[in-house]
Amino acid sequence: MAQDLVGFSSDYQFWMQKLSLWDQASTLETQQDTCLHLPRFQEFLRQLYEVLKEMDSNTIIERFPTIGQLLAKTCWNPFILAFDESQKILMWCLCCLINKEPQNSEESKLNSWTRGLLSHILSGFRFDTKEVGLFTQGLGYVPADYCPGLLKNMVLSLVSELRENHLNGFNTQRRMVPEKIRFLSRVCIPLVTLPDIEPLVEALLTCHGHEPQEVLWPEFFDAVNEAFLLKKISLPTSAVVCLWLRHLPSLEKATLHLFEKLISSERNFLRRIECFLKDSLLPEAACHPAIFRIVDEMFRYALLETDGAPEVLVAVQGFTRCFVEALEKKNKQLKFTFKTYFPYASPSLVTVLLQRPEDIPQELWHQPLKHISEMLREIVEDQTHGSYGGPFECWFLFIHFGGWADIAAEQLVMSEAEPSEALLWLLAFSCSPHDGSPQRAQTMVEVKAVLSRLKKLLRSPILSAKDLQAAAAESQDRDPRPPLCQQLIRRLLLNFLLWAPGGHVNAREVIALMAPSDEIAHDMTGFLDQTLYRWDHLRMEAPRSRKLARELLAELRMVGTAMQGPGSPRPRDVMRRPFLRGMSAENEP
Amino acid sequence: MESLLQHLERFSELLAVSRTTHVSTWDPTTVRRALQWARYLRHVHRRFGRHVRIRTALERRLRSQWRQKGASGSAAVPGLNFQALGRCDLLLSLRLLENRALGDAACHYLLQQLFPGPGVPDADEETLQGSLARLARRRSAVHMLLFNGYGENSVLEESVLKTQAELLLERLGEVPKAEAEGRSRFLSTLWDRLPQKNFLKVIAAALLLPPSSPRPQGEELELDTPKTPGEGGQELVHWLLARSDVMAAFCHDLPVGLLASVAGRHPEFSRAYLGLLTDWGRHLHYDLQKGTWVGAEPQHVSWEELYGRFQSLCQAPPPLKDEVLTALESCKAQDGDFQVPGLSIWTDLFLALGSGS
Repeated sequence: MAQDLVGFSSDYQFWMQKLSLWDQASTLETQQDTCLHLPRFQEFLRQLYEVLKEMDSNTIIERFPTIGQLLAKTCWNPFILAFDESQKILMWCLCCLINKEPQNSEESKLNSWTRGLLSHILSGFRFDTKEVGLFTQGLGYVPADYCPGLLKNMVLSLVSELRENHLNGFNTQRRMVPEKIRFLSRVCIPLVTLPDIEPLVEALLTCHGHEPQEVLWPEFFDAVNEAFLLKKISLPTSAVVCLWLRHLPSLEKATLHLFEKLISSERNFLRRIECFLKDSLLPEAACHPAIFRIVDEMFRYALLETDGAPEVLVAVQGFTRCFVEALEKKNKQLKFTFKTYFPYASPSLVTVLLQRPEDIPQELWHQPLKHISEMLREIVEDQTHGSYGGPFECWFLFIHFGGWADIAAEQLVMSEAEPSEALLWLLAFSCSPHDGSPQRAQTMVEVKAVLSRLKKLLRSPILSAKDLQAAAAESQDRDPRPPLCQQLIRRLLLNFLLWAPGGHVNAREVIALMAPSDEIAHDMTGFLDQTLYRWDHLRMEAPRSRKLARELLAELRMVGTAMQGPGSPRPRDVMRRPFLRGMSAENEP
Repeated sequence: MESLLQHLERFSELLAVSRTTHVSTWDPTTVRRALQWARYLRHVHRRFGRHVRIRTALERRLRSQWRQKGASGSAAVPGLNFQALGRCDLLLSLRLLENRALGDAACHYLLQQLFPGPGVPDADEETLQGSLARLARRRSAVHMLLFNGYGENSVLEESVLKTQAELLLERLGEVPKAEAEGRSRFLSTLWDRLPQKNFLKVIAAALLLPPSSPRPQGEELELDTPKTPGEGGQELVHWLLARSDVMAAFCHDLPVGLLASVAGRHPEFSRAYLGLLTDWGRHLHYDLQKGTWVGAEPQHVSWEELYGRFQSLCQAPPPLKDEVLTALESCKAQDGDFQVPGLSIWTDLFLALGSGS
């Protein structure tokens, strides 16, 4: 507690100095400095209030003899009063100084002085001339009556001046000089969350001047972005896009903010992920190639940093889906070729990947799949690494459209015929891109073997969990399967379960056998959630499969909560893909 | 209903008293009661705002309470209207805060009520604390935009005029139409009482307000309908034209371009304005020595000024431009339809404008 007070005292001194420096914030430098410190100062005011409210008026004066100066200087700085809740907290602090029953003239004077300051905050800044004052009084109005209307008219006037500036360029007489635009952006910084000012903020963002360099204050962009991310301002999408195009750090912050939401939220609800994505406006903004490239770059970085964490993969997929949707809606307005979004990828590959499975009849799905597989294989196995990047770039591009890998797995499981090499390769690549040819070939062989055992099971009327386990069992004479291969096989088993026509399966039994660890259960939950989601998008009926999927999900969730003992951490590192380590050294152009 | 109206009356008295030294006798209980009444009336505003009959009754009673000022015959100073009821607790609180006569104990109680602190959930914007904070915030916003202003502020001065114009029209709309001559009497009183230069500018601004959409018909009213400037504007023009002294001052003092805009919007005004200009023109005679048109007396308008005014009118879009030229032509014809300069002022004007346009 003593420590707190010491820290607080030094804060107090710091702010006292700052306030003296800022005075009434009438110069560019003082305005700029004030704006930089507004949030921290508000925090200090809050702490001050917490301290003051415990004391009575006399104790306060004893303990903080200069408090009067501090509060008075704050009152005279319009930038501080305009910011967020600072004016409110300041008034709370002032109220603490009021003495209910002043015993002597000193205390009376303090009361009087404090009331004067409170009055100033609410009625102080005079914005009318004598004539105007007489006019409004003569009509029976007080400033509190017409202040909102006046502010609205001022904003409208400034907005129309800005728009004229934007449209008419050099020849208009009412052109706003760049200094004034910059000044306005400075003034807006504390006011960003005041709804009356929102049209002005929007106009500043969307009306480009005719200067070659940026006219607006960078802190303005920061303030608007911050307010937007915290949902304290509502702006049309076009204004937000302008913000991000004009100020790169804002875009980066917005993307990181989205990442945090996606990755820390209840991980397995794809619907909620889609909500977050659409809410963030980033997919829509990404229709501008510049924005798309930056966001994509951040996704790539996140994948590398987290070694391909499943949450990030899901986020990339979700983002791409929303992005493509937005792109299709805008199709009439923006005309960028896909190459601008994926400049390092083979255009024909991108075109095939962008196809929507729901637009193709189900029986023809094997065609694009084969095509994708062949093209990817060609690029990956090309020793010279060609112009389309190495395995990682290919894989990164592919997982944007991860739905295809899921469809490939389903196709393999559902078809009667021999599993096609192309599909096997695709699956093996998508789960483990860093493998060399031999390892991949090995994986393909394993998968093929499992699939043929599973096909045999199709004939039996009842499936038991034990049968499944047997089908998936590793053969004793080979090396143990790498964990990624194991994961792939597990997913194939699940697919098989969902699609096999024969008999009932005991969900509880299956989960007990297949999901011995928390992490595997987590992986299976994610897989099932994604599958159901995909079926919704593709409008696949499959009532029996859906029912089973939901039963399995329910079982997994129960097991999940049972397994999570008090204080047991989630072991996330187990499932980290080791393959990406060392890939960051591969510097793709 | 009657108790509601009585409540209203008592509160209006309270509001009036809150500015006087009488509040020195108030104790915390009085303050509490006053705030309660205000809160109740705010609730009434919210509840009955859309009911035409109740609202009209309340408005009528409020209007009857506007204080009489000075000698008999002078009109009342407007006070609370129905819209203001929506913020009557705010108005009361501000008056009490500014009133130094309020005792320390009462003031302390008042502040506790106004600023209870962080515990109160402020998501509901309707708390008094929230309204006060918002008012303070808006005031600093206006201050920052106006005074830390960059260079010239004509654009923002326009906003101040526009706001005054809106207030004027609001008050004007409150004078009941049934009262004969009520509105013109109201305007005349204002003209006598208020600074005239500013008033003229406000009238011009009011006449140039954009026409708002017509009020929805029927029982349902919006809670805070802006009065239609359309009909208010008409009243203003009628009054202006009826008062030749005001009209003369209006046309003399205001910038020429502004008058042209007003004329463009209001055909009655443009006719009267043209009439005035022709009057002024008739006062000028041609001075052979100086070679120009001069006025007989110093207060008569000069040739340059007259020409300037006609020029600005001709720069307006049709139909005004055509009207002006037609008027000039007919004056020229009446005068004898001379083509040579120096004989008729209308010819000279016509020639000067012709070469200019």
